[in-house]
Amino acid sequence: MPPSPPPSEAVYNRPNYLTADRGVWSWLVTLDHKRIGVMYLVLTTIGFALGGLFALIIRLELLTPGPTIIDAQTYNRMFTLHGVVMIFLFMIPAIPGIFGNFLLPLMLGAQDVAFPRINLLTVYLYLLGAGIALWGMIHGGADTGWTFYTPYSTTTTTKVAPILLGAFILGLGSILTGINFIVTIHTLRAPGLTWMRLPLFVWAIYATSVIQVLATPVLGMTLLLVAIESVFGFGIFDPGRGGDPVLFQHLFWFYSHPAVYIMILPAMAVVSEVVQAFARKNMFGYKAVAYSSLGIAFVGFFTWGHHLFTSGQSAFNAGIFGILSMFVGLFTAIKVFNWTATLYKGAIQFSAPFVYFCGFLFFLVFGGMTGIALATVSLDVHWQDTYFVVAHFHFIMVGGTIMAFLAAVHYWWPKMFGRMYSERWALVAAGLIILGFNATFIPQFLLGNMGMPRRYYSFPERFWPLNVASTAGASLLAFGFLIVLVYLVVSLAWGRVAGPNPWDSRGYEWDTPSPPNKENFPGTPVITHGPHEYQDTEDGGAGSEVTHAA
Amino acid sequence: MAHGTSAAGNEEAHHGAARYVVVWLALVVLTGATFVAWRVKLPEPWHLLVALFIAGAKALLVVLFFMHLWDHRGPSRLVLATSLVFVALLIGLVVADNATRFPLANPPRDGNYVRTGILPEPAPALPSLPEPPRVPGR
Amino acid sequence: MQPETQAVHLAHHFPSLRTQEQAARLGMWLFLATEVLLFGALFTAYSLYRYLFPHAFEGASALMHTSWGTANTLVLITSSLTVALGIHEVSRGRNRRATLYLLATLAFAVAFLVIKYFEYSHHIHEGQLPGRFYSFAELQVAGASMFFTLYFLMTGLHGLHVLIGMGVLAFLTVQVWRGRYGPGYYTPVELGGLYWHLVDLIWIFLFPLLYLI
Repeated sequence: MPPSPPPSEAVYNRPNYLTADRGVWSWLVTLDHKRIGVMYLVLTTIGFALGGLFALIIRLELLTPGPTIIDAQTYNRMFTLHGVVMIFLFMIPAIPGIFGNFLLPLMLGAQDVAFPRINLLTVYLYLLGAGIALWGMIHGGADTGWTFYTPYSTTTTTKVAPILLGAFILGLGSILTGINFIVTIHTLRAPGLTWMRLPLFVWAIYATSVIQVLATPVLGMTLLLVAIESVFGFGIFDPGRGGDPVLFQHLFWFYSHPAVYIMILPAMAVVSEVVQAFARKNMFGYKAVAYSSLGIAFVGFFTWGHHLFTSGQSAFNAGIFGILSMFVGLFTAIKVFNWTATLYKGAIQFSAPFVYFCGFLFFLVFGGMTGIALATVSLDVHWQDTYFVVAHFHFIMVGGTIMAFLAAVHYWWPKMFGRMYSERWALVAAGLIILGFNATFIPQFLLGNMGMPRRYYSFPERFWPLNVASTAGASLLAFGFLIVLVYLVVSLAWGRVAGPNPWDSRGYEWDTPSPPNKENFPGTPVITHGPHEYQDTEDGGAGSEVTHAA
Repeated sequence: MAHGTSAAGNEEAHHGAARYVVVWLALVVLTGATFVAWRVKLPEPWHLLVALFIAGAKALLVVLFFMHLWDHRGPSRLVLATSLVFVALLIGLVVADNATRFPLANPPRDGNYVRTGILPEPAPALPSLPEPPRVPGR
Repeated sequence: MQPETQAVHLAHHFPSLRTQEQAARLGMWLFLATEVLLFGALFTAYSLYRYLFPHAFEGASALMHTSWGTANTLVLITSSLTVALGIHEVSRGRNRRATLYLLATLAFAVAFLVIKYFEYSHHIHEGQLPGRFYSFAELQVAGASMFFTLYFLMTGLHGLHVLIGMGVLAFLTVQVWRGRYGPGYYTPVELGGLYWHLVDLIWIFLFPLLYLI
């Protein structure tokens, strides 16, 4: 065996997708799904930082009952922009855009996604939408809340229109990504890769894409109607002209509730992969987990009215939506039981991705149960528009999706960049993040239950201590994220060379070099077994068997 | 080039153009039918249901034959069907909301007040309304 | 088209041209599904307000020119026929005839927009306008202006799609005329046709809901 070359050369001596073409222009016109995934990583990280900045301003303002650092008008803008940026610039695009793009073709044995040029287009749509929204933010930004409820959104003179237009364009990118992934999964599976051999990551991304395709157009139309209304005043939501403002809420939440499943399903996709890799065991109940993704996608469309419980919706509808909202929890429960059962008698590797999975599991379950509680109309009447709801969705979105996002980043970092990060710092950061998360959001459940309304600039003194605790937690959380960013960036230049499969994972994507070549596979792979089959190897775990047809 | 199956694999390459003309004739007839049904002025809800039924029939012809879903097996049929089901879901639950609300929670309409007995005579037609107040951003 | 020229159209990441075309078709249908949902939001608003204001909508619909609406319906249906025939001719390699059919489709599209122009002019002249612009004295009931709000929004969005469809068809017509597509590969024309048929489909529902209440 020849002596191993120095680390930098080992990674970059052969042309991989990062080094094959040089220059900024090659990145700007790339059709390589792997490069597009990396671009999404950079862009969504910036989006996350921006949304996080708004969050910190909110938390700083809430350090004292009265004015602290900003005035009330600015506060309204801050929570609006925090929501808009976090949801449209991070939560919805991140995991599909980064890991969906990077991994789908590798997991399917394909050379690229079905429509590579449309894939590149979505990156530019992201930039365009984000740019227009940013322009609006710089010129004051909207103060309507990210939910843009009428009649305020149609009569305010703040810069709602650019935010709406930005969101519209970002939504178009989301739709195109969804279409691309669905077609890729249907048509570009390698020979031998039947639906029942697909990695569970693919199943959940497929379900996410279905939601993106069906739900986002309704949001687009609704935002367009708000824009038209605020400019022309046609009265489509104005009772004075026969309109119903609650119609806006129906149309808005018809998208926005499935949107939260767009945000959590990719996280569940990641978790399914991480659980199998770090317990070194096949998923317990593969079919149940696969089908439950579709269940979430479809049944999630039947629940939007739980956002309208206190808006004047009929009691009849409230009853229907309440029951269906509880029903949709069943599918998540199925996944949680199966993930846990997979751990049983597994050979658990307690490194950073697994730590994040543990956080994910506890926070998803806790947050999910508060969701079921909120689905009870008689309880929601008290909790609606309080910090209880805020804590609930942050438990799912931060405690769920962002934990899974971090697990994904750590699990696939060596695959994408060929480097390992510092495990010690990773565990420190994970601990800080989990601690900081608890400190930030558990007080908010208590505050909400005590009656503190959301989106309020000031609060009575009895809420003061818990708000201080929450802000302290948010600072810890931010610090933890910062540490992650630092050691990951450092690892790009100084990290240990990872080798093709540092986790010894049996996922299909680990059969390629790390980082992968520009061309994914020399020929067409033929898949002869399912993903993550740890129990049946005679070769002592050298890797999954994938033969390559010329 | 092999006959019968082009590289496109389009099964409809087997049939001629006559099929399209026949479908077009059916569409024209159905358009006439819906016009006639309108003139007949059936009582509600039949009036609306007949119109939707005829429109649905026309749409089905276009989708199956002009858009070739009759020939193409595969997920495309499911895609279209799913989108229609979800539109029906949206419309159904939205209308159900307003239909089952306390009547005064709906936008004000003529006759609304008379039904609930609040006003003894029909409400007058609404006057033209002033501009909604432009709320300056706070 | 010879197999060699077919290879020009095959993208490197697809195993075969057939797979590529199936992928393109599925992708187009998914896009059409998004259009259905886009208009679905407007149909939802329509359904709600027709439920709330049945008599106002009936009265307002009586102000529509049903004959022009019927004419437009026949125009679009026939344009769907011509585009289908055009694609058929391309699949048979008769690009000259195909070009004529596609041009006929474009002509019908123009006719549609011309009729719409006259309709819009009439409504504007009569003050039958959306929301606060509504000033038609003979029908002053709650919900009348809402009908016209929905009329202009729905036919306006539909008209925008007609324009986009015309752009797409015009581009494809030029390509067909130049012989870029033939029996071995005509997927783009097929996809353009699908888009045009969707435009027809939406009008098939708009017509009875707006003109025939």
